[in-house]
Amino acid sequence: MRKILVIALNTFREAARNKVLYSLLFFAVVVIVGSLAFGSLSVRDERRLMLDLGLGGMSIFSVVIAIFIGVNLLYKELERKTVYTLIPKPIHRFQFVLGKFAGLVLTLVLQILVMALTLFVVVKLKEEHVGKALMMMTVLVFLEVLVVTAIAVLFSSFSTPFLSGFFTAGLFLLGRSVPDLRAVAGKLGGEQPVLATLLDSISRVVPNLRYFYVSGTEVSGQHVSVSGVFVDWTYVGSAALYALLYVSLLLILAVGLFSRRDFV
Amino acid sequence: MNAPSAVIRVEKLQKTYVLGFFRKKVRAVEDVSLHVERGEIFGLLGPNGAGKTTTIKCLFGLVRPTSGKAELLGMPASDIRGKRRVGYLPEAPYFYDYLTAREFLVFIGELCDLSRKKAHARAAELLERVDLKDAADMAMRRYSKGMLQRVGVAQALIHDPEVVVLDEPLSGLDPLGRKQLRELISELRAEGKTVMISSHILSDVELLADRVAILVRGRTAATGRLDALLDTRVMSTEVVFSAAEDKLEVLRGALDGLGLASEQHGETFALSFDGDDKTDAVVDVLRAHDAHVISVTPRKESLEDVVVRRAQAPSDTDDAAKDEAKAKDEPKDEAKAKDEAKDEPKDEPS
Ligand SMILES: Nc1ncnc2c1ncn2[C@@H]1O[C@H](COP(=O)(O)OP(=O)(O)OP(=O)(O)O)[C@@H](O)[C@H]1O
Ligand SMILES: [Mg+2]
Repeated sequence: MRKILVIALNTFREAARNKVLYSLLFFAVVVIVGSLAFGSLSVRDERRLMLDLGLGGMSIFSVVIAIFIGVNLLYKELERKTVYTLIPKPIHRFQFVLGKFAGLVLTLVLQILVMALTLFVVVKLKEEHVGKALMMMTVLVFLEVLVVTAIAVLFSSFSTPFLSGFFTAGLFLLGRSVPDLRAVAGKLGGEQPVLATLLDSISRVVPNLRYFYVSGTEVSGQHVSVSGVFVDWTYVGSAALYALLYVSLLLILAVGLFSRRDFV
Repeated sequence: MNAPSAVIRVEKLQKTYVLGFFRKKVRAVEDVSLHVERGEIFGLLGPNGAGKTTTIKCLFGLVRPTSGKAELLGMPASDIRGKRRVGYLPEAPYFYDYLTAREFLVFIGELCDLSRKKAHARAAELLERVDLKDAADMAMRRYSKGMLQRVGVAQALIHDPEVVVLDEPLSGLDPLGRKQLRELISELRAEGKTVMISSHILSDVELLADRVAILVRGRTAATGRLDALLDTRVMSTEVVFSAAEDKLEVLRGALDGLGLASEQHGETFALSFDGDDKTDAVVDVLRAHDAHVISVTPRKESLEDVVVRRAQAPSDTDDAAKDEAKAKDEPKDEAKAKDEAKDEPKDEPS
């Protein structure tokens, strides 16, 4: 456990010294503040939309950062051959993978906190009362990022950063469209059974990331939004369970692949 | 021969890399066997691409052997307990460029089960020992190759291991650095540690190693004590002299009588012949013609000659056993092989 922590802290330190990350974070903060500033110019309904935009910005930037560091920080160890120094040390390979993952998560938690705090402050300044919903939404964004990071780690345990980034982004988009995929599959059912089955199977294999981004969508037939009726903590709890199951599965796969590989 | 006390043991090791989409096979190691006893300094020699690094990677579990065994302290490479007691310097090491050497050493120390405090103490001690104290708090991004090599040596020793394996430790170091590292390795021996160093630069190992293994094209071509592997007889002799202009013609004729021709290099002349049995005759002739003998240099077989000889002879693993026992007793046909070897370009075998 201590070794996982030591590796995690070192990974965090690497991220903390990465300038690209600061620029991304800065940009994200600007976008969040910007979208809310726009909101103040508009009528009430549009203001809600803008709040959703701010949240959307936070969510998208978190995912982009997750893919960026998830793909980069693990691959760099292989590319730069720093892993040659670590693997011969008295650590298990699973400790290396989990340590890397934990370090990434730690980095992302802080990033999301910075973005969420920006959002909270701006919202407070505008005297909106959306505190609880925003908190839940932040947790959901974090859960989604957890899943995306695990996907990135899985891919980069055997693939190049470009391909890993590509596949992770692809899976993210598919994951976000799970309900749409199912809807299309349902419509196509009669006419094109093969395509329909394919779409349906895809929608069942990829993680359903729509669970984690609920503001402005339908949840069990009801419209939810951070600025209106929102989901409750039970929902967030079940989403967390789903995320944890998925992440465990992905990490087990990543560890399996990583343990088998030759460092040539 | 494989005594139970062996600290490093490699038996019939074979490693085939399978590359890319077409599953192309590269045989990096075909048949390597060696053992290193406690307290020895062991040299792993061989030309580029002989399989030294691959053998070491198998020992540390970086790659899995295709077949055969590679054990440290009697345990397979994956065993954490073994790894706790061995240190490893990878070839051409590269470390986290965003860390300083000190941060890196502390990090590695903690991975090796040292407490944070102990890791700090060891890091400071080793930074001093590898002469990096002044650069200790500079990001390694700014380090030169030799400085990285020194960090590499320090990280291999951070947990005070019993066994240290250094892959090309002297590469990238300046003359002073090489001297310091040789001294450090001698100190390790004095502390009772077992050290394995790989190199293709033979003089590096020649000075340090008790025993060596010579790898050629993925096979152990020979193992044993250096003095047993080296032919102690004189291979050739070179004589340098100067002679007066007017006596030169006659002198040339006399040397011709011995079957020798000299080459002129500016003011001086040089000639060389196999073995050393003509030395007296040559000196007599030179003196008789008032020539001035500048030097007589017998050239003995160097490790380099051995490697070249082994690299070009068809590989034969039984050599290994034979060599350890009676390298000195059967120099005849090896001498012949050696002469042939001399004429060939010293390329790596493909
Ligand atoms: N990653 C790899 N993929 C395919 N083949 C490899 C790989 N690494 C090494 N080889 C092959 O394995 C053989 C042995 O390589 P190795 O690095 O073990 O040699 P070496 O003795 O360490 O050489 P050097 O003195 O140059 O370091 C070479 O023929 C090389 O081409
Ligand atoms: Mg090598």
